[in-house]
Amino acid sequence: MSGYKEIALRDSCFRPGSTLCPGCMESIALQNVGRVSDNGTKTIFTIGTSCAEVSSLAFPNVVAWGRGEGSPDDFAKSFSIIHNVFESAPTLAEAARDVSDMLLEHGALERPIQVIAASGDGGALSIGLRSLLHTIYRQSRITMIVLVNEIFANTGFQYSPATTPFAETSTTPVGAAQMGNPRLPLDYIHLSIAAGAGLVAQVSPAHGKLFVKTIERALACPTTAVVFVPAPCISGWKFDDGETVHLAELGAQCGTYPAFVWEQGKGGSVKDCALEAAERPAVEEFLGLQRRFHHMVQKDPQSGKFAARPGREADVERLKAWTQSNVERLYRLAELR
Amino acid sequence: MKESIVPAAPMAHHTTPSGEIYPGALNLEPVRAAHQVLHETRDTITADGNTAAALATLQMWRCILFAGFPITPSTKYIETVAAHISQQVGGKKRVKLMEAEHAVADYLVGAAAACRDLIFPTATSSVGLDHMTETTRSLGASGLGNVLLIDVYRATANFPLCIEGDPSDTLAHRDDGFIQIACRGKQQIYDTVIQSPCLGMHHDVMTPVMPGYYGIKDSHRNARLVVEPDREIHAFQDRWIKPCPFPGLVNGDTAFGNCVTSRHFQGFKVSQKRRMDRVLDVLPQISADFERQFGRPGLAFFDAVGFGDDGAADFAVVSLGPDFGTFEAVREEYAKRTRLKVAGIAMRLLTPFPRDAVRKRLERTKAVLVVNQAHHQGRGHLTLDVADALADLTTPPRIVSVFAGIGGADVSEITWEQMLDHGRGALEGRALPPWAVFHEGRQL
Repeated sequence: MSGYKEIALRDSCFRPGSTLCPGCMESIALQNVGRVSDNGTKTIFTIGTSCAEVSSLAFPNVVAWGRGEGSPDDFAKSFSIIHNVFESAPTLAEAARDVSDMLLEHGALERPIQVIAASGDGGALSIGLRSLLHTIYRQSRITMIVLVNEIFANTGFQYSPATTPFAETSTTPVGAAQMGNPRLPLDYIHLSIAAGAGLVAQVSPAHGKLFVKTIERALACPTTAVVFVPAPCISGWKFDDGETVHLAELGAQCGTYPAFVWEQGKGGSVKDCALEAAERPAVEEFLGLQRRFHHMVQKDPQSGKFAARPGREADVERLKAWTQSNVERLYRLAELR
Repeated sequence: MKESIVPAAPMAHHTTPSGEIYPGALNLEPVRAAHQVLHETRDTITADGNTAAALATLQMWRCILFAGFPITPSTKYIETVAAHISQQVGGKKRVKLMEAEHAVADYLVGAAAACRDLIFPTATSSVGLDHMTETTRSLGASGLGNVLLIDVYRATANFPLCIEGDPSDTLAHRDDGFIQIACRGKQQIYDTVIQSPCLGMHHDVMTPVMPGYYGIKDSHRNARLVVEPDREIHAFQDRWIKPCPFPGLVNGDTAFGNCVTSRHFQGFKVSQKRRMDRVLDVLPQISADFERQFGRPGLAFFDAVGFGDDGAADFAVVSLGPDFGTFEAVREEYAKRTRLKVAGIAMRLLTPFPRDAVRKRLERTKAVLVVNQAHHQGRGHLTLDVADALADLTTPPRIVSVFAGIGGADVSEITWEQMLDHGRGALEGRALPPWAVFHEGRQL
């Protein structure tokens, strides 16, 4: 394992030039993944259609990928990226992995290659769940990054299978008959473990050191490693500028997406999120910072704290009960070997 | 920036319009050396169409990774490949079984982009091809001519379900961007598959190829097949397939993708059309070389019968597939009985449609009977192509459009005679409907 500071000084393959929204967590995550992957092994990156893709590969604008100012003389620093349709990133990565491995096995390629795939939660958990699970099932030696902003942000902030209950999206609007998203999120962490992943994690760069170390472990994983990255979306979640990292941390601490790292054969752990609700930040504080939950909570002018809106108390309690079950579920999953 | 934790290892590289390439990163000679020979000598065997296609790909040293997903009637292709590879002790070729046709198509993109000097084949059919479409349309424009998508023709998912062979699947994918070549007979299937990568990977073309043949009629029925020695196939392909001038993911510093904004979008689409047009020039060259080496006809725009030395005919049939053989069986007798000069062409190159060659072949005919074998909203896919080809003749032959063999139905001798009688009405100046459907000797 490399030192955190040493990694922070490496060349990231995600470079300036993207048109992601200022304050986008995806940009922070990809910059960090890019630095970790500057480890002396050539990197191939595959990416499905997503915010991260349309904002970084929109030729002829600046392509926001590559290491260094020009193509490097060191082959290990050379970098290739391929985009195809929404659901394709794991399969593209698996193909690149297989071809690289076969070329190495033949002696046609001397240098090893590492392969990283990236999708949004829409691309990986909705239209692309088939590809994700089957690539895991086939134990392809790739690192899969799923940027979970809980919406199809790229197409205008529609519901995804990762959307938090009661969140308002453009296809689960708040109205007299429905209070935002009526569904519980898909249990994608458990699905990934069950499909046979070698490493499954849920962590954002808000837990900086943990994030970097987890990506490093993922790249060393002998089978498929899947890292779900909670990615607060400034435009879709509707929060104030400068709150991205704080919100990512708060959401993890209050239990909506706890930091979690698990490895096959070793088990795992929940990080920075207590099992007991009383020991965690209040969920209302997390909701209150986002206008997608405007119908659920309001700020008490006296205390400065967020509390359920009158008439929404039962819904907030249901959301808190789901949050508690979410935390307990991850604690149980951590015990799996 | 701080240097990488591993000391730099300089490698020569140069710039291409598609990114930086590191030529020294890859050396495919060990791949060639690892090829296990299937046939040392020219052998005659009995094989069905799927086996013929499978053997052709297995004999190529550049085919080392075979992705697939089963669908009737193409399944035996991947079964045959798997059976051979399972027997190759110490062999390094692999079968990759995917979870769906869409996954196969995505996998082909990743594999073909990873190494642009290897060939990545698969076989599918009907709704399998439809399921791939989201990605095949990208592939068609990608410049990845090292993809070989064998389509075993089967009716697409019309109601009622049909697993027999009609070409509605391949004809529904005319605009996917693939070079589409129709085969009839096992030998033509084998020979076409061998030549296809030479065409697709030609530096002027760089377009994936979709060779195809009729399901059941050709995929499942056995016939004599001459298979060539592997070394001869390698020598032939090596003359045509040169190292790709553009980087792949493995040997490049590059970006592939679908996301192109509008100004450059136009340029890419023009390039795609120009590369496709180059097929019309390159295909005959490959064909001639194939015939020189193997002594059999190579790729063709179409197979022609019955035209005299002067190219004239009273009446010409345009069709494709194995049912054209039944027409050949009745042609002479019909011509004798009607005292007409009856000729015909069976289309081989469907996309790009060889418009000029078809016009030249048919310009001295009085009437043309186009036999379509796939559902179409109008007068038929082939009819429209033929009409377009003949449109700028001063006195074009009259075109009669019919449908027969839909859903893989046999087109019997009596059906052919009924269609010919119907078409003959054009020579007699009779008014004819825009299209007519024939089956089992009757007009429906």
